[in-house]
Amino acid sequence: MSSMSGVRPTKGYLMDLKRRISFIERGTEFLKLKRDHLAKELSTSLEVLRGRRKLLLQNLRDAYGALTAAYLSLGPTEVKSQVRAVKKRLELEVLPRSVMGVRYPYVKFLSKPQVGAELDVTLSHAAKKVQEILEELIQTAEFEARVERIADELGKTNRKVNALENTIIPSYKQVIKFIEDKLDEESLEELVRVKLIGGALARRRA
Amino acid sequence: MKYASAVVRCHALISELLSPEQMRRLAETENLNAFIARISETPYGEISIEISGDASIALEKVFYRKFIERISRIIDITPKKIASFLQAYYYMRFEVLNLKRTLRGSFGGTPSQQILESLIPIEPYHVKDFKDLVEQETIEEIMKHLHGTPYSNLSESLPLYKETEELWPFELSLNNIYALTILKLVERLPSPDRALVKRIVELETDIENLLIALKQREMVQDTRRIQSLFPTTFKFNIEKMKEFIESKDIRQFIIGLGEPYTEILSPIYEEDVSFVRSRLRQQIYRTMKRGRSMNDFGFNVIMAYLVFCEIEKDDLVGMSWSKAQGISPENILKYLVIPHFI
Repeated sequence: MSSMSGVRPTKGYLMDLKRRISFIERGTEFLKLKRDHLAKELSTSLEVLRGRRKLLLQNLRDAYGALTAAYLSLGPTEVKSQVRAVKKRLELEVLPRSVMGVRYPYVKFLSKPQVGAELDVTLSHAAKKVQEILEELIQTAEFEARVERIADELGKTNRKVNALENTIIPSYKQVIKFIEDKLDEESLEELVRVKLIGGALARRRA
Repeated sequence: MKYASAVVRCHALISELLSPEQMRRLAETENLNAFIARISETPYGEISIEISGDASIALEKVFYRKFIERISRIIDITPKKIASFLQAYYYMRFEVLNLKRTLRGSFGGTPSQQILESLIPIEPYHVKDFKDLVEQETIEEIMKHLHGTPYSNLSESLPLYKETEELWPFELSLNNIYALTILKLVERLPSPDRALVKRIVELETDIENLLIALKQREMVQDTRRIQSLFPTTFKFNIEKMKEFIESKDIRQFIIGLGEPYTEILSPIYEEDVSFVRSRLRQQIYRTMKRGRSMNDFGFNVIMAYLVFCEIEKDDLVGMSWSKAQGISPENILKYLVIPHFI
């Protein structure tokens, strides 16, 4: 058996392997727990994301409609000119956050755009709608990134669990069995030898 | 009649304007290229725009130029009183708009060349040189440059501007200057010519005041502003505006205003504020059509021609922008005016 070529069939090695396999099995259990948790988190998040996107899409349509109407009412140059009066612009900071070891971006609002009082009513109406969805849009993007990272992590964890369950643990078990068989064989040989020597000694005494 | 030749000329020029059918066909073109191709079949002729820039802005400039050309052609052939009214009504309106754009540009730190490009291409009216004005680095310097013009009172808004760090004190002051000038000039018009112009100016002002009041409903109330927000009122005074700002049932209030205000303002129920402006322009278009048919040989014809030209320009600007954006015709037709008069 080529895979067993480097294996030392000793009791010490067997004990070491048994310690290692129990550690791996415990780790696998933890990974399985993580996988289940991630799967649960993913399915819940997907539901939430679907709802959020549907709502966002509707709000985006409304905001785009209002903006289109403002452009049609004022003309593109006037809209651009009025937008120049908006002094406080949107400022964001993207920070890392972690859930179950999964890092995802978290967006922190430093300043929100302040729509000037001089904006035309049509533009201010559109700006209000855009402002309303801006936070929602960024939060959805943040949530989407989180869901993506969770899905990635779930895939990785699943692959790890499969590798451990189907390859690593069986190969360890195989080695352990091989060493145990080898040790049993050796102890049987030892017993036979002892018995033979014992018989020979008894015959000599007699 | 002092201006018979101008009236006859306007009759001829009205027939050159795009018909509602033509406007609808333009609105229904597939894209910007098709729109430009179709417009070249009209009196606008071949239009060439820079491919590198914003096509809708370039087209907007083309339509503005055409409109200004049409106004100046009429101003040149009308008697002095009417010409000075028309100049103030249109040129001063554009100049006020240019001043607002200059102030916004300076306030936002926009490069002077960019501000200059955003201005409506009119000949200097009260302001000597806009090039000089846009190159000023601060709002205070702009104010200094406006000394000796009808806009010199703008500097009185400087303390409020410094306090609020917002441009609205200047914008309100400019609106006030424009409104007062127009009112003065309307009164100087010969009495038979005054009625229709007054009706339009009053309707426009009332609706704009109500739209400002509508915006105020959503803002933190500033008592200093309420008085200055409505420099000119006609049918609805400041008390009525306050009532609108504070009213709980907006629908009931609008119904109480009576026609044509109720019909014009009804899109507010669906939060479609822009449609109010379309309805207002439709009402003005209708009023001018009626005015023209009532007196086919008076000032009404001149005013009707210019109003039709402006509405045509606004519709074309809207169409070209929507074509550049790839917006489908059904989403814009509602906001256009002329195609509704087929």
